[in-house]
Amino acid sequence: MNHAHDKPVQEVCSVQVGDTQYGIPITHVLEILGKPATQPVPLAPYFVGGLVHYRGEVLTAVSLRRLLGIEAAKTPEDVLVVESPDGFFGLFVDAVGEVLHVSAAEHEPNPATLESRRQALFDGAWKLKDRLLVRLDPERLDPMRLAAAFPA
Amino acid sequence: MDDLTREFLLESQEGLDRMERCLTDLETRPGDTELLAEIFRAVHTIKGTTGFLGFSRLESLSHAGENLLGLLREGQLAASPAIISGLLALMDALRAILRSIESTGVEGKNQTDDNVMVGRLEALQRGQASAEPVMAAAAPAKAGKPRKTRTAGQRARRTPGSPSCSPPLAEPAEAGPPANIEAAPCAAREHSPSVAGRAAAPSISERPRTLSTPSPESPAAASGTSDSTLRVDVELLNRMMNLVGELVLTRNQILQATSADTSFSPLGRRLDMVTADLRESVMKARMQPVSHVFSRFPRLVRDIALALDKRVRLEMEGQETELDKSLLEAIRDPLTHSIRNAIDHGIEKPEVRLAGGKPAEGLVRLRACHEGSHVIVEVHDDGAGMSIEKIRQKAVARQLVPQHRAEQMNERELLQLIFLPGFSTADAVTSVSGRGVGMDVVRTNVEKIGGKVEVESFAGKGTILRLRIPLTLAIIPALIVESRGQNFAVPQASLTELVHLSAGETDSRIEWLENAALYRLRGRLLPLIFLDRLLQQSPRERAAPCDIAILNAEGRCFGLVVDGLADPEEIVVKPLAAVLRAIGFYAGATILGNGEMALILNPGAIAQNAGFSLSPKADEGPREASHTGQHDFLLVATAHGRAALPLATVVRIERIPRSRIEHAGPCPVLRFEDELLPLDDSAAELPGLADDPDAQTTVVICRDGDRQVGLTVTQVLDVTGGRQLEQAGTGGIADGITLLDERVTSIVSLAAIPSLPCVEARAFSGLAEQHL
Repeated sequence: MNHAHDKPVQEVCSVQVGDTQYGIPITHVLEILGKPATQPVPLAPYFVGGLVHYRGEVLTAVSLRRLLGIEAAKTPEDVLVVESPDGFFGLFVDAVGEVLHVSAAEHEPNPATLESRRQALFDGAWKLKDRLLVRLDPERLDPMRLAAAFPA
Repeated sequence: MDDLTREFLLESQEGLDRMERCLTDLETRPGDTELLAEIFRAVHTIKGTTGFLGFSRLESLSHAGENLLGLLREGQLAASPAIISGLLALMDALRAILRSIESTGVEGKNQTDDNVMVGRLEALQRGQASAEPVMAAAAPAKAGKPRKTRTAGQRARRTPGSPSCSPPLAEPAEAGPPANIEAAPCAAREHSPSVAGRAAAPSISERPRTLSTPSPESPAAASGTSDSTLRVDVELLNRMMNLVGELVLTRNQILQATSADTSFSPLGRRLDMVTADLRESVMKARMQPVSHVFSRFPRLVRDIALALDKRVRLEMEGQETELDKSLLEAIRDPLTHSIRNAIDHGIEKPEVRLAGGKPAEGLVRLRACHEGSHVIVEVHDDGAGMSIEKIRQKAVARQLVPQHRAEQMNERELLQLIFLPGFSTADAVTSVSGRGVGMDVVRTNVEKIGGKVEVESFAGKGTILRLRIPLTLAIIPALIVESRGQNFAVPQASLTELVHLSAGETDSRIEWLENAALYRLRGRLLPLIFLDRLLQQSPRERAAPCDIAILNAEGRCFGLVVDGLADPEEIVVKPLAAVLRAIGFYAGATILGNGEMALILNPGAIAQNAGFSLSPKADEGPREASHTGQHDFLLVATAHGRAALPLATVVRIERIPRSRIEHAGPCPVLRFEDELLPLDDSAAELPGLADDPDAQTTVVICRDGDRQVGLTVTQVLDVTGGRQLEQAGTGGIADGITLLDERVTSIVSLAAIPSLPCVEARAFSGLAEQHL
């Protein structure tokens, strides 16, 4: 929970999903694929948004919207290629924003009132001047872990 | 482990592999000096390198072996079976030490065994034919010690061109001490090149060679191969393969994006060509000849045959056939199993064979060849074959199939039963096989890599086990099918045929038995699986047109109903993440030529999921004609009545305009694909057509040895099986007759068609060519 405090200032990639902004440490983002072609996988766990093609490999991409139970996006989504301890995977987001500098001092843990599923997925939030930026931990979004944590 | 040791291990391993091949060959050709030189070189290389790496066990063993081999090479000893067994045992001992070095970094201690081995080799050296191990009197380490002074300089010339290390001619009787005496000057002599380095080595090696018997070896050739090859990590090759795949896709996109721009098209074509070449080269880099696997079998066959008291000869064919390295590894076990089976269950004991009118020595033939995008590996034995009745009884006894079902099964279905887990027809469990594990393992392993196993058995004549292996794991031919707007790839390996049902037919041709959908395929009921339902996609309309891909996987046959078919494509298999693999129906994913992705279906898993029992193949595959005496013939009508052409010789059947047939002297010739073929006017049609340039005639193009010939026929009637009769022919061009559809039919003799008179003429005069 606390590795947000590892470094005083961190670069995070901000992404938009639904009405919320999320931040992923840029050290874990390998590449941003702008609206790539995707291939749905029938019978896949609900959180798998589909397959995307990334440098000769076929990546399994997790859909944040599906994970959070938000209705599907109406426009094509961007994909972040995210590195986790078990390899890399894709993450569908509505849009990728700018890279922000956030400081550990700005970070606060999840509020106790947050719904349990989100408690498990979110890693606190940074208090920016005008809004909140939810911290995502790439390790928790790895499809392998999701399958174990949220069985269908 | 340092690089030097690693290289030494690889090198020694390869040397021992070569040695094994040569040793088993040596048994049939005991006097072959080249084989001996090769074996000598393998042992010598190990000995030469171990000295300065400090592996004393290896050194003393290889030294003892080298002494023995030296005598063999000089012709003072003949390679008796006892000596070969001794050398094979030596090889095993060396392998064991190499393994120990590989896993632990040290040789391990086993001085007693070493002494026994050295003693055995020395006994053989003294001409004691006894293969029994003899305790060594002389300490082997002593003989080895002076060698410690060897240095890297010696490695440079590890050819038999340095026979200085073998004992001199005079002392074949006493092996121990002479080696010692010999070793000292040899070590001193060889010390100097190490200073001068590799460059000086050849001139030095010149001298010792003249001292001894001439060796039939060319050092240049040996060093040439090692200089021009390079060891590359397979991981790197995989990465290159991936990048090439990426390049192919980028190329496709560039070609599409620039198709309108004419200045780009030559560049695009060039890119296209280079990419294709590159892809092929990278694929080739992963290929290895099957001899890498085959090389172990002579030894295996020898050992098993000895253990079972049988006489078996192994013939190997097509060793140069190349296969992807990973696949090569994957077929090693299935092949070993199959050969074991062939010798244990197939080949009979010599006395049984003699009683059955066969030579006492059984034959196991290993054959590898390319067939389309597959490599076929056949294990053929001339043993007893499988008794269909016995299979039926065993299957029932072991409760693998119910009695009533077993009675209905035909020969082919029964043969398939041998692949069920727990099946064995062996009467007794031997150490070699008969435990009922084997054929199912063979099939599982082969199918795991996208291959297939077929079996044919002829009672009293033998069994053929055929492994059909894809050329590479990375790229497989697949049919792209479409279901609810999504692409899926079906591996061609399991596809047997396709059926299209138009909108009107769908409802009437698909029949229902409760919940099971069925299709009548040539009178048999074929279970159907709807891909959209299986994958819980939005269901299609019942009456919409569809295609049925008839699949055969793991002995199960079923029809997969899809919305439509796209093109067949060579696809690069990409692994799926574990969460998606867990679904079970997908074998991987791929990126198609147009950049779209497709999931690769796993027909075996789909069939299993649908709970099929073993059902017969829908279609009888082509059988190998030569084994049954049955031949397939193309039946044609000619001016002289019905005639038959062996189907194997038929290249194609064409309607040819009269204008393409000309005459060279009295013989009609045909211009076909820029070549001239001699033509036989068996239909006697040509004279009648002479005046009409637009008229056409049917010509059957056949292969006759190296040439192709054409035959005019009035009509192509049928393809049918016939039995070749060995009787003298009737007139004309027919030199044989056959029984086809109960009628005696003449077989056209292709050899009787005169060759082109103009072929020779062309060689001498350009005029003839112009004229034609």
